Amino acid sequence: MASETKVKKKKKKNLNNTGYLFVAPFVIVFLIFNVYPVLRTLYLSFTDYKGFGDAIFSGGANYSRVLHDKFFWRALGNTAKIWGVNIVLQLGLALLLTIVFSDIKYKIRGLGIFRALYYLPNLIAATSVAFLFKTLLDWRYGTINQMLMGIGMMKNPVDWLGSPGTAPYVISVISAWMWFGNSFIMLMAGVQGISRDYFEAAAIDGAGRFKVFTKITMPLLRPIMLYVGITSLIGGLQMFDLPFLISGGTGGKPSGSTQTVVMYLYKFGFETNQVGFASAIAYVLFAIILVFSVIQFKAMYGKKKGEVA
Amino acid sequence: MNFKKITALAAAGVMAVSLAACGSGGGKASDKSTSTSESSDSAESKSTEKTAVAGNKDAKEKLVVWTLAADLNQFAEHYTESHPDVQIETVTIAPADYPTKVQTAMRGKQKTPDIIVGEPQMLDEMYEAGYFEDLDQDPYNAQQYKDDIVDYVWDVGKDQDGVQRTISYQITPAGIFYRRDIAQEVFGTDDPDAVGEHFKDYATILQTGETLKEKGYKIFASDGEMNFFSGDSAWVVDGKLNVDQARKDYMDLCVNLYQKDMTAYVDSWSTTWYQAMSGSVPVIDSDTSVWDEKQMKEAEKNGKTTEVFAFGLPSWGVLTMRDNVGDLSGKWGVCKGPSYGFSGGTFIGISALSEKKDLAWDFLKFCTLDPDTLDWWIDASQGDVVSNLEVLEKHKDDENPIYGNEKLYQFFLDQAKGIDYSKVTKYDKVIGDAWGEAIGKVKKGEKSKEDAMSEFYDVVESTYPDIKVDR
Repeated sequence: MASETKVKKKKKKNLNNTGYLFVAPFVIVFLIFNVYPVLRTLYLSFTDYKGFGDAIFSGGANYSRVLHDKFFWRALGNTAKIWGVNIVLQLGLALLLTIVFSDIKYKIRGLGIFRALYYLPNLIAATSVAFLFKTLLDWRYGTINQMLMGIGMMKNPVDWLGSPGTAPYVISVISAWMWFGNSFIMLMAGVQGISRDYFEAAAIDGAGRFKVFTKITMPLLRPIMLYVGITSLIGGLQMFDLPFLISGGTGGKPSGSTQTVVMYLYKFGFETNQVGFASAIAYVLFAIILVFSVIQFKAMYGKKKGEVA
Repeated sequence: MNFKKITALAAAGVMAVSLAACGSGGGKASDKSTSTSESSDSAESKSTEKTAVAGNKDAKEKLVVWTLAADLNQFAEHYTESHPDVQIETVTIAPADYPTKVQTAMRGKQKTPDIIVGEPQMLDEMYEAGYFEDLDQDPYNAQQYKDDIVDYVWDVGKDQDGVQRTISYQITPAGIFYRRDIAQEVFGTDDPDAVGEHFKDYATILQTGETLKEKGYKIFASDGEMNFFSGDSAWVVDGKLNVDQARKDYMDLCVNLYQKDMTAYVDSWSTTWYQAMSGSVPVIDSDTSVWDEKQMKEAEKNGKTTEVFAFGLPSWGVLTMRDNVGDLSGKWGVCKGPSYGFSGGTFIGISALSEKKDLAWDFLKFCTLDPDTLDWWIDASQGDVVSNLEVLEKHKDDENPIYGNEKLYQFFLDQAKGIDYSKVTKYDKVIGDAWGEAIGKVKKGEKSKEDAMSEFYDVVESTYPDIKVDR
């Protein structure tokens, strides 16, 4: 009996070691490429490091500078504006498509093909997307102005990317176009996870399409919508590539209206050699993302408790 | 058990390799732990580097050069012709990536590159970071060559303490490139000195613009052509932002050129901008619809396709124009602008960490101080303006047929003499960009001059808290 336990113990131990061996590569890479930079950035945010020379401790000076910098807040405002419009369009469109495709009366065929088609914009590199839309939206020679003027929707060409009133929203729309397919796939997966019994029961009880949507689909889809919302928020606050490429630099042309927080960070980290300050911006952004994520998670779990599934 | 262990190890190895391949992008200040999701971009595989190897593959010694301009590759080819025992690897890196690349190499204590270069606006910070070898010490003793080189270039190569760190083979003073045929028609002369009088200050330039407009020409393609001549004072003096009257006058000039319809409303470096070097371009103001054939024809009749009189460019513009003038070859000239100015230039130095400093110095000397090389370079580059006084002297009577047989080496040497390098600061790029943005808003009527200036001050204050701003 005693020897049997010993053997068992030995076996268990060996099994654990093998497990560690399996996770070791990931952990090592993660420590080097994720944990170390994150901690080093935290350290640098309390120094006046310039990217070369010595990093001299400067206390909370960088953080106080971030919080008092009106251009940081402008960049945060821009980011919120661009993301806000984007998420409404992106989720709205995805939701609409989900309703259409999940309707038991319509029975639309070829869901797989549509899903792939909607997802396609997401596979194009941001550089290509930026180039494509810059060409389409060109003030004088762009196809979009040409079409809109051709069908008589407007008389004079609109400088879509050149005026602060339109440029940020154009980026929102492009971003929504890139990501609605992704959200659609998630929402579709969510809907398919809902038991068909509910829909059939509702149909038998004579519930209309609107009732089914508001009373069954929406409530049961809420967790997945919140998930999409959170991931989109985190990604949205880190928005960089599209506005950077479309406005052509970190200045956020026109008039700084498309300058996002990460573009602002990049300006200091890589263009003016103020790595310490840039690190502080990164951590303030991190804190903001953390706060919003916690709020959203709270909202999600809070609602779940109140509901009886 | 053994078999299990081996499989586990093998699987772990495969994973490690694939993970390492994924995780190589990070490491800078922008890294955050919450990088799940949306904007994590698909891989951009744009190559901004080009490597060329000159010389014998079996050569005993190898030198590594990291450069901004592909010029140095030609120099390397030329060098290895006479030095068969040396092989030179030249890596050309895009200017936007260059400082970061060098910074990474130097912080990683890499022994290569042996040769690093910089453009004037990058140099201050590179000097401060200690990347370059001190060229005043033995065995280099660079100061003995001081009198061989144009003054301002020699000064750009010095750090804040006056220690020589880099030397350049070229000078890059700015001039105004103008159409001789139009000058003859409008002003009755195409003589560079006489035409230069029409560009002697901003007020005169506006007058010149009006005169040209009346004759159906545009003075410039874009309104930024005088940018190279706008730096008559330093942006930062004794830690204080310095916006003198000349800066404000420059703003007024740009606004007037734009608002009074004297330019072709073209952006510098755009296709139409280049097109204007070879003849007529469409000038379409915002009222004209480019898709309406009738309106376009009308526009053409009303002189809205036009020819551009002048461009403002540094001496490397000689080559830019050469490649774009087409049938107008011989009809261009170069005259002086409202002030002295310069832009760019490749400055060469030795990496402080190089293990082949003697060889690197020999190559540096070969590229910048050897009259024979520079004589060869004038020919090889078909008109680049070198910094060596002896060679400039030798070529001062060379006539350039593209520019109506003008003696351009003499011209640029004279311009170079007027340049005062002390007006260049490390803040120029960012402050200059912000100033350009302010000008853009005023000229398009988006903001009043006061508001645009006030925002400009805000930007400078927020970007460089150390600079004092007096409004």
